[in-house]
Amino acid sequence: MLVRVRIAVLERTIASGQVPTAGEIAAELDLPLAMVQEAYARLGESHVFVCEPGDPSRLRMANPFSAVPTPFKVSARGGSYYGNCVWDALGIVSLLAGEGSVATSCPDCSEPLSLRVSDGRLVASEGVVHFGVPARQWWDDIVFT
Amino acid sequence: MLLFRSEEHVDRSGKPKGAFMTPAQMWRLADTWYHDRDDSAWRRRSADEAEDVFEQIGLKGDFWRLT
Repeated sequence: MLVRVRIAVLERTIASGQVPTAGEIAAELDLPLAMVQEAYARLGESHVFVCEPGDPSRLRMANPFSAVPTPFKVSARGGSYYGNCVWDALGIVSLLAGEGSVATSCPDCSEPLSLRVSDGRLVASEGVVHFGVPARQWWDDIVFT
Repeated sequence: MLLFRSEEHVDRSGKPKGAFMTPAQMWRLADTWYHDRDDSAWRRRSADEAEDVFEQIGLKGDFWRLT
């Protein structure tokens, strides 16, 4: 059941550009709402997705997708999406057949920066990626990370 | 994980300095990490498996350790 919910969330996000609520997935899979809410909670506990605090029907992240606007805008396969960070933004491009671009800006000077992938290869890039938090601590506060 | 104009811009931003990688390394990591995320056979990597992925793209040292 967790696999069905995980795939349904990702497929619906890819199709619509919006991370679905538990109610939308319950209707799509013809499952009780409480069962999908439980699946959301379990996917959050196992660090597959990130739940929205205080709302069992919403996800904050359906990794690599963000449910809320971020500074990492992705254009791929005719759709527009938000990644949680530059890693996830490129992950969206990967998930969408390795064809697309990421638009962001330097957190210091706000200058626009972009990355472009075509046919599974990074064909245009600029800047340097910075990880502020060591790997062991990423899930201590994943929204900050 | 943020994209800065250069390492100097990280210094100027005042953010605590961590580790750097090139956009090419970031793409390799993202592609390895996420390309099969919508596959029914996908499962979350163990910490050891994740460390192997980091090492394969040249990310070594304590910063990248999960175990």
